Amino acid sequence: MNPEQFGGVLICGLRISAIYALMAVGFTLVYGVGKIFNYAHGGFYTWGAYIAWFLSAGFCHLSYPIAFATTIPILFGLGILFERFFIRPVRWGGAGMMNIFIVTLGAALFLDALALVIFGPIYKRLPPLLGGNLSLAGFVISRHDLTLVAIVIAITIGLILFLGKTREGTAMRAVSQDMIGAQIVGMPIDRVFALTFGISTVLAGVSGMLLAPRTLIFPGVGWPIFMKAFVIVVLGGMGSIKGSLIAAFILGMLEAFIAYFIGGVWGLPIFCLVLLILLVVRPQGLFGTAG
Amino acid sequence: MNKKITLVSILVLSILPLIFHNNSYIMHTLILCFIWGGVASAWNLIVGYANVFSFGQIAIFAIACYTSAMITLNLGVSPWLGILAGAGAAGLVGILIGLPCLRLKGIYVALATLALHLAFPTLLSQGRAYGTGGTRGLAGIPPLQIGAYTFGLFSNYYFGLGLFLLSLFAIYKIINSPWGLAFISLRDSEHFAKSLGVNEYRYKLIVFAISAVITGVMGGFYVHFIRAVSPAILHTDLFLMVIAMMLFGGLGRFPGAAIGAFAIIFLNEALRPVGTFRLLVLGIIIVVSMLYMSQGLIGILESIGRSIRRISKGRLTLSR
Repeated sequence: MNPEQFGGVLICGLRISAIYALMAVGFTLVYGVGKIFNYAHGGFYTWGAYIAWFLSAGFCHLSYPIAFATTIPILFGLGILFERFFIRPVRWGGAGMMNIFIVTLGAALFLDALALVIFGPIYKRLPPLLGGNLSLAGFVISRHDLTLVAIVIAITIGLILFLGKTREGTAMRAVSQDMIGAQIVGMPIDRVFALTFGISTVLAGVSGMLLAPRTLIFPGVGWPIFMKAFVIVVLGGMGSIKGSLIAAFILGMLEAFIAYFIGGVWGLPIFCLVLLILLVVRPQGLFGTAG
Repeated sequence: MNKKITLVSILVLSILPLIFHNNSYIMHTLILCFIWGGVASAWNLIVGYANVFSFGQIAIFAIACYTSAMITLNLGVSPWLGILAGAGAAGLVGILIGLPCLRLKGIYVALATLALHLAFPTLLSQGRAYGTGGTRGLAGIPPLQIGAYTFGLFSNYYFGLGLFLLSLFAIYKIINSPWGLAFISLRDSEHFAKSLGVNEYRYKLIVFAISAVITGVMGGFYVHFIRAVSPAILHTDLFLMVIAMMLFGGLGRFPGAAIGAFAIIFLNEALRPVGTFRLLVLGIIIVVSMLYMSQGLIGILESIGRSIRRISKGRLTLSR
């Protein structure tokens, strides 16, 4: 492995780490606030990519940055609708966590099947955010990857500020700490949930939009990404944003090196192995609380 | 479950081939109903009664399929031994999965077993060197035989029906045994049951194994009936179909999963003409049956049965 290849693998690792971080943070946010395991998270990844494709290359022929900006409010709306029609009925129905789990599983299938019905099985290609490459100290980085990492960092900082500084963010943290307590002091739980799902959906969809130019878009493209994001969330500790970010970086790099040395298909099985070992050895993850 | 209804349905199922013996499509579909009915019921035993959310059942099914297929193809042993070996392997894997999983709490079990399910297709398609046949899988698997007689659709039907009834009987017996009571008490009030001294771990492990063996027998039968197997049996659509069978039939209601299997398989066949919309409808069924009919089909049937009984009783009093 010469330095150039090493650099290439590092950049590849950085790119997938960034995407996994975005997916994992979106997932862990919903888990943290509502203790809801959202299977449909991968479906929103797929839909983010499809909507961006529809707006740019597919039908509307908007330029990519405009399409990107338009997709975000659409995704936010989708997330709110999802919470309203899929999650809220089971949440207030006095049903257990497992019922919500299965509803989101059904919703994941529904989202994939809907994509299949609307867009067909043919793979779609999304243009890169910015074309061309940059040469940096001997390493070649594509502009797309650079923008991708920058956007992810910006979103993450924005989210942390949002959670820490704003009224809504504080409400979300309060609900995640003690839902009944938050309800007693009169917090609008339904609105907090809707907001959380909206943000989470945006994060999943943006990951889809950002990675789609590198892979391709097809129904079910979000599943492996979602599963890996999930392993990351468990490693970081369910509900911990800081843990997710660090774990995303560790596992993203691990995957890049696995892909280089053994082959890309082994990514998911090795992640699953990590997950199994982790669940037995330290189920609460790196930064999660025991219990 | 009412004795009369049980007897009538067994009778109907055993007479059906006499009516449809020329229609291989219906026969084939019914045999699939028996197989998936058995698998879904065994799964329901774990999820609905033991309350362990294991998603590894289809992986266990696939292990049994591959075990039986590989030893009959490579070692030339009889398919009957293949089915037994498949069931044994399935039971063993069931215990191996059960050991760590039962120490974990609800959601983590679901994830660990799902991880197994998702990692499995890659192992199968990469394991060509070990005889799994890679992505294309294995074909030309020998059918079941007794002496010189090779099983056709007719004999497969009755064998499948026999296995189906046998597994339902075993599951019924477990549910109505002290074990079943232990599970129901654990499911409905975990801390109280534990404080009364119900040993959760041992019971659950045994039921994990039994459920895996039933799934394994069905897998062995499946592979010698279809006579081909590939990693495609681990695709999401089949996985979700079996979950839909459980939910639609009624989670934790005894013959629910079996009834759900018949309903979902025939619905699935009826939806063939609409092509890709099939999966969409299945997704909607899972969501809607969870949101609006948490008792499942069996709950609806029971309430219909109750109202019929009430109406007929009402008539009796009127006539008197």
